[in-house]
Amino acid sequence: MNIQFKKGVLELCVLALLNKKDRYGYELVQKISEQIAISEGSVYPLLRRLAKEEYFTTYLQESKEGPSRKYYSLTQKGRDYLNQLQDEWVQFSAGVNEVIKESEQDE
Amino acid sequence: MNEKLFLQKLKAALQKLPEAEQDEILMDFEEHFSMGKEEGKTEEEISAALGSPEQIAKEMKAAYYLDQVDNTSSVGNVFRAVWATVGLGFFNLVFVLAPFIALAGIVLSGWIAAFAFITALPLVIIQAMISPELFLWFELFVSIALLGIGLLLLNGMLYVTRLFTKGFVRYLHFNVRLVKGGLKHA
Repeated sequence: MNIQFKKGVLELCVLALLNKKDRYGYELVQKISEQIAISEGSVYPLLRRLAKEEYFTTYLQESKEGPSRKYYSLTQKGRDYLNQLQDEWVQFSAGVNEVIKESEQDE
Repeated sequence: MNEKLFLQKLKAALQKLPEAEQDEILMDFEEHFSMGKEEGKTEEEISAALGSPEQIAKEMKAAYYLDQVDNTSSVGNVFRAVWATVGLGFFNLVFVLAPFIALAGIVLSGWIAAFAFITALPLVIIQAMISPELFLWFELFVSIALLGIGLLLLNGMLYVTRLFTKGFVRYLHFNVRLVKGGLKHA
């Protein structure tokens, strides 16, 4: 799939995954790459950018298994942004689906 | 690519960012590698899935500079923002093309004045040949005087044009350095 296209959606995916609970970077990357084929490394620049834009905060937490993990926690600003992106996505994908459906009926 | 090489390449590509920023980025990837290894993946598998460290560094740098601009609106940062968003094209349109047109207009008007002064004499002579009854000695003398002034002006304009060209080329070099240096130093 088109790279630019994916990058836009990646932002929505990250924010959506953080909506219900805090997660650490590796977990986010795995969750997304399970569903969408991406270069896993491109999630980290996105995480840094969104953190800088104050859509989420980060904190370190010790884990039993190994080194401490950096968790990402959605802020209210991030939640608002997520809602906005989600609405846009729903409208957009519904529109695309409709166009595809119509084009199939034409044939 | 093993972990060490991946991190080395990433660090090299991030060279221009501040030390603290580099360290944070590298830490995220060290964490990523160690968790992948816990899951039983090899370093090669993990780095292959991550993709090119150079590409990651590019995205990291873009994220960093955009943020710099948002936080501190110093002159330098604002300029960097302009370059980052509207790009080199717009910058050069305003800061190179505009002074160029202004200065070139002044130089051109000098040349036009010089040629107008010089052509006064031939025009007076042509007029005298076509309709001798309109000939005035006064016009002839004035046009001769203008010819002298015109030749001096022409000489001066040659000098000014050369100076203008030299100066503007220097300004262009400065501009390119400025633009190029724009993303170098935070």
